[in-house]
Amino acid sequence: MRIVGIVSGLGRRVIAGVTRLGRAALFLGRLAPGLGIALMRFRLVIQQIYMTGVLTLVIVLVSGAFVGMILALQGYNTLVRYDAQSSLGLLVALSLTRELGPVLTALLFAGRAGSALTAEIGLMKATEQLDGMEMMAVDPLPRVVAPRFWAGWIAVPLLAMIFSAVGIIGAYIVAVGDLGLDGGVFWSQMQSGVSVRDDVLGGLIKSVVFGFVVSWIAVFEGYDAKPTSEGVSRATTRTVVSSSLAILGLDFIMTAFMLRGL
Amino acid sequence: MEATKGSKPLVAVQGLTFFRDSRAIFQDLSLSVAQGSVTAIMGGSGTGKTTLLSLIGGRLAPAQGTVEVAGELVPTLSRKALFALRRRMGMLFQSSALLTDLDVFENVAFPIREHTRLPEPIIRNLVLMKLELVGLRGARTLYPAELSGGMARRVALARALALDPLMVMYDEPFTGLDPISMAVIVKLIRELNDALGMTSIVVTHDVAEACSIADYIYLLGDGRVIAEGTPADMRKTTAPEVRQFMAGLPDGPVAFHYPAPEYVSDLTVGATV
Repeated sequence: MRIVGIVSGLGRRVIAGVTRLGRAALFLGRLAPGLGIALMRFRLVIQQIYMTGVLTLVIVLVSGAFVGMILALQGYNTLVRYDAQSSLGLLVALSLTRELGPVLTALLFAGRAGSALTAEIGLMKATEQLDGMEMMAVDPLPRVVAPRFWAGWIAVPLLAMIFSAVGIIGAYIVAVGDLGLDGGVFWSQMQSGVSVRDDVLGGLIKSVVFGFVVSWIAVFEGYDAKPTSEGVSRATTRTVVSSSLAILGLDFIMTAFMLRGL
Repeated sequence: MEATKGSKPLVAVQGLTFFRDSRAIFQDLSLSVAQGSVTAIMGGSGTGKTTLLSLIGGRLAPAQGTVEVAGELVPTLSRKALFALRRRMGMLFQSSALLTDLDVFENVAFPIREHTRLPEPIIRNLVLMKLELVGLRGARTLYPAELSGGMARRVALARALALDPLMVMYDEPFTGLDPISMAVIVKLIRELNDALGMTSIVVTHDVAEACSIADYIYLLGDGRVIAEGTPADMRKTTAPEVRQFMAGLPDGPVAFHYPAPEYVSDLTVGATV
């Protein structure tokens, strides 16, 4: 009997998860026409990029600098064993542009701006602001949801690039200032070793995908939230959890494809 | 039916049946709202008064029956036609539903900006005129969080009036207000209705306020209209369920006790088990 209970419980969870994914997909379908309309009123999108970007910029700058500095210390520690410390710049740049920049930025964005996005839309629903718009003959999907979705999608790649750039600067400061590496070698190794197409563009594609997924989850959870304070708080938590899992899972899949040269 | 003017009613509800989950909220409900009148829809909590406004506004669709507003059958309208109709109706939510990220001026300007392409000076004048109507022209730079409940409701009223609607629906406009704010809202509903030539539907359970401004009153109960008439008719009526509501008596046809097993046997169960 207990095994039956476990199996049926597992089944229920899987079905609930798949149903939720289906609802999210349907929501995206309903949002799609609104995305076009929102682009024609780009001022609203710019406003939202400003709001979400500012929300996340400081945390991205600080984290980027620290991650770069840590990479320099750890990388040097390993490379020096093989007398390859001159490649430190290359190691840091590749790690950041291919992997850490897109992934960490998306995780930070989900925690900072994604959760705020969910809470904002959820609260607008809970306080009848969305119903009020409907009754004023204003469709909230293109007016409220679509600009926020675009903003997240656009902001994440921009922030990821900033993250990588700041990280490289942080690494340079540690490598040249503290570890005594030659600045010219640091840059020239990086310049000759990093490929724009494979490394920079690959990282950019990743962050575009992450931006799409995080924004999608954030606006869906907000719009789908139960219109109570408890419902909104649950939705906010779900945004962070689902986004983080989705980012890491998708990162694995995309990395596997990119490394095998698709 | 044609309570005041004998003209075609602006809102006509016929044989309306509506279910929420499997519970019937309305069964064969019919009522009409005369053009230019203030019509109060009254009833206890949970009688579906707010649901009725959602049905008239086309946010919900009935299981059976028709809802007609300004000659258009609301449930059959396409989304586009429905939105066109909604531009001509204003709705005042109980929570005011002001946009919290915009100040008072921008809240009132919101429907104008969304639906017209008027130049900024004209929008400014329109907004200030609407705010003047509700006496809040001086509060234009405040944010919703800085407003009292009564002020927020007046701003929401100015916003509902922004596109010069045919009719305004008020959802519990008197709830949770201090006596002065309440008097202001009561006065505004009646005066704006007459001065702007609108039609007003007021959903409320406040008997005194409804009687003081309404031309016609519908009393809902058990998913149907249990009484209707002018305020004077309603006061005179002897039907017990109407008397209980109008006079606010704790017991009557609507029982004080929620249905429960017989009292003595319910208490003695504990002793025998």
